[in-house]
Order: sequence, then C-alpha cells, then structure tokens
Amino acid sequence: MDHMEYVLSILPFIASGLKLTAKIYIATLIFALPVGLLAAIGKVKGPKIITKILYLYTWIWRGTPLLLQLFFMFYGLPIIGIRLSPFAAATITYTLNSGAYLTEIFRGGIESIDKGQYEAAKALGMTYSQTMRRIIIPQTVRRVLPPTCSEAVNLVKETALLAVIGMPDLLRIATQIFTRDFNITPFIVAFVLYLIISSVLVRLFSTLEKKYSIYE
Amino acid sequence: MTMIRMSNIHKYFGKLHVLKGVSLEVNKGEIISIIGPSGSGKSTLLRCMNQLEKIDQGIVEIEGIVVEAAGDKEGKVVATPQEVRTAYRKMGMVFQSFNLFPHMTALGNVIEAPMLVNKAAKDDALKIAEKQLAKVGLLEKKDAFPSKLSGGQKQRVAIARALAMNPDIMLFDEPTSALDPELIGEVLSVIKNLAQEHMTMLIVTHEMGFAKEISDRVIFMDDGKILEDSNPIDFFDSPRHPRIKTFLEKML
Repeated sequence: MDHMEYVLSILPFIASGLKLTAKIYIATLIFALPVGLLAAIGKVKGPKIITKILYLYTWIWRGTPLLLQLFFMFYGLPIIGIRLSPFAAATITYTLNSGAYLTEIFRGGIESIDKGQYEAAKALGMTYSQTMRRIIIPQTVRRVLPPTCSEAVNLVKETALLAVIGMPDLLRIATQIFTRDFNITPFIVAFVLYLIISSVLVRLFSTLEKKYSIYE
Repeated sequence: MTMIRMSNIHKYFGKLHVLKGVSLEVNKGEIISIIGPSGSGKSTLLRCMNQLEKIDQGIVEIEGIVVEAAGDKEGKVVATPQEVRTAYRKMGMVFQSFNLFPHMTALGNVIEAPMLVNKAAKDDALKIAEKQLAKVGLLEKKDAFPSKLSGGQKQRVAIARALAMNPDIMLFDEPTSALDPELIGEVLSVIKNLAQEHMTMLIVTHEMGFAKEISDRVIFMDDGKILEDSNPIDFFDSPRHPRIKTFLEKML
C-alpha cells in the first residue's frame, strides 16, 4: 500500500477524532468568552463578596494543572454522586479553566482604559451599564484581541489532554492507529491538522485586529 | 436665577483636605473664571459640581434641586434619583484631556449621548450633531476619528459633544492646558462664541487675558478656599490680596 493510500485509509478515523476536538473546542469558546467577560466586570466593579469569590475562582483554576482539573471532573465528581457525560465534564472543565484566563485578560483590558473615558461618559449622563456597553467594552475588545488569540491557540493544544482521560479526540485516535499499525503517519497527520487549526485562528484574529484598529 | 449653589463644601483625598468650606453661587448667564495656583482645588471644585468627585461635607444644588448632601447635611437630598439625574444632565463638561471616545468618529462622539441618554431618534441626533459640529467649525471633519484630529480640533469636538445634550451650564476644566500654544486660540474663540449666547459657564483656566476678557466674575482659589470673588476689572487691575498680586505677577 503506498503512502497516500494509507493516509486516505486512516482519514475517516482521524476525522472522527477531529470532530470531537472541534466540538469541545467550540463549545468551550462559546461558554468561556461570556464567563470571562462577566467575571472580569464582576472583578472590576462587583460587590466585595463577588470579587472575593472571583478571586478564589481565578486563583484555583489558573494555579493548578488542567490535567488535574480534568481528573477531578471525570473521576472525582462521580464519587460525590455527580454524574456527567464525558462531553459535559470536558466542556465544563475547559470552560472554567479558559474562563479563568480570559477573566484576567479582560480585567486587564478593562482596567487599561483611561478613567477619563468613564468621566466623559458620566458627564454626558450615561449610566454605568451604558458606559460599559458603548464606551469601555468596545475599546477593551481591541486591546484584548492579541492575548485572547494566544489563549484561543493554547486551548486548541490543551484539548489534546482529552486523550489522557480516554476521550476519542484527534490525538487519541492518532495514537490508537499508531498502536494498531505501528506507523507514525497518523501522528504526522495530527501534527499537520493542529498546525492548520492554529494558523487559521491566528489569521482570523489578525483580521479582527485590523478591523478594530481603524480608529487608531 | 441661581443655577448652582454650593454651600460649605469640604472635600478630602485621603488625609489631604482639598476643599475647605467653599461656598459659591452661580447665576444664570454668568461667566465665571476660576483661577489660582495648581493644587488650590479649582478642578476639584468643578468636579464636585457634577459628581465626578463626591463631597465629604456640604450641599450642592442645581437649579433649585439638592443633588448632593454630605456630612452633617446628609439626608437633605429630597429629590428622587430621577430628578437628580435630570438636574445633572443640565451640565455639560469639557476636560483638559478632551476624553473623546477614540473608537467613534467625531460625529459618532456627538450623537452618542443624545441617542443613548436622551433616546433621541437617529435622524434628530444627526441634525443636532451636525449643527453643533458646524458651530465649532468642524463639520467637514465629522467622519474623522479622534486620532486624526489635532488637539484643538479634538477639544472643539468635545465642546460640540457636550453642547449636543443642550446643557444650561457648561463646565470647562482647563480646556486649553493640554494644547500647543498655536491651537489655544481656536478653542478660546469657540468658548467666546458661547459667551455671546449667554451660556452659563464656569471655566478653570490659566489664560489670564482670556479670563479678563470673557468673565463676569473671577474667582481666585488658594489652599482649598475662595480667596477672592470679584469682577475682572477690580481683580486684574487692583488686586487687594497680596497672594493674588504675587500670582498675577508670575502669570503675566
């Protein structure tokens, strides 16, 4: 069997792994972005009890290994009687982990906006929520795009930890084919696929950056 | 008619006593320059009028409505939050550092508050905005972002933005202090035009010639107190207080 044919023959398996990776990745982003934004606003402006809880949240989730967090969700929760589907457990873990990083990214972005912007908005009669929605957040978005991009790329690679807890993601499938055929081609295919996804993301973010920098 | 009445205002920044019992009445149509050495509390006084700083003691009234009361006067605010908001909306403010919204064009800056705060329809807001931008001589720059404007142009857009809310009172906090000398004139002439329309104005400024020319009253602040409150001719030509004499000699 020549090389190209071999690659084609394993593609359907690889595609199933890629699909799971993509599903968890997209679900995580959909949930983690609002979690990060709301938690960031809570940290900047919330009542003391809220800022304390959020501080605890980012401290724990940024301060411990993601793999350990996955272990707790997969093997720890069932012990106390909480049973989640593997997909739900994975999505929740990745969301909370990524959300913690995004919280700090967004908080830094919000705090980098000059206080004169709040004062001008207040002097014009805007409420705090109007000020955030129309004045502060749009400027924050522009500033946090670069660090958000690197978090989004990190997350792609972090999904590979799913393989360790036995979920059939891209890397896990590649590993299975490798063990079956004792051929490293599946690893090369996975390698290329991860690289393509990351590159597309970087491309996407630089387009966004250009779009948002028209006013600079 | 009394537009603003401030009674015995005290303000602290931490341990620093910035305003030490300032009282001031502003009548309709009056143009008041507030001058004095830096750190004397001029800007803070202005910022206490529209809640950018909270007062620690005293009463602030706008057009007869008590909008803020603190210290032993606490609880004197009887107006509803809605009435207080409406009262504050009668004041427009212009800042030393312009504080334009950088992500919006000149026009976007001016239509924003009328649409968001006053719920004006877009067509109406555009009409108001174009009128105000024309008034400050910048209609042809309406689609420019602030980053593409000179300091003087930015400040004129900021004035148009404040005027678009149709204020009864305009507060200017050192409007020309951040400008290159050759750009000061264009901003001052916009303010002079407003004076001719009898807008009630309070202007914190270091431009002595301008203050003398435009003001009905000059207030001199020193060390958190109003040291002098008089007409510009007496103030500049025959200052009574030695502290003011020294200040003027340094400035002129």
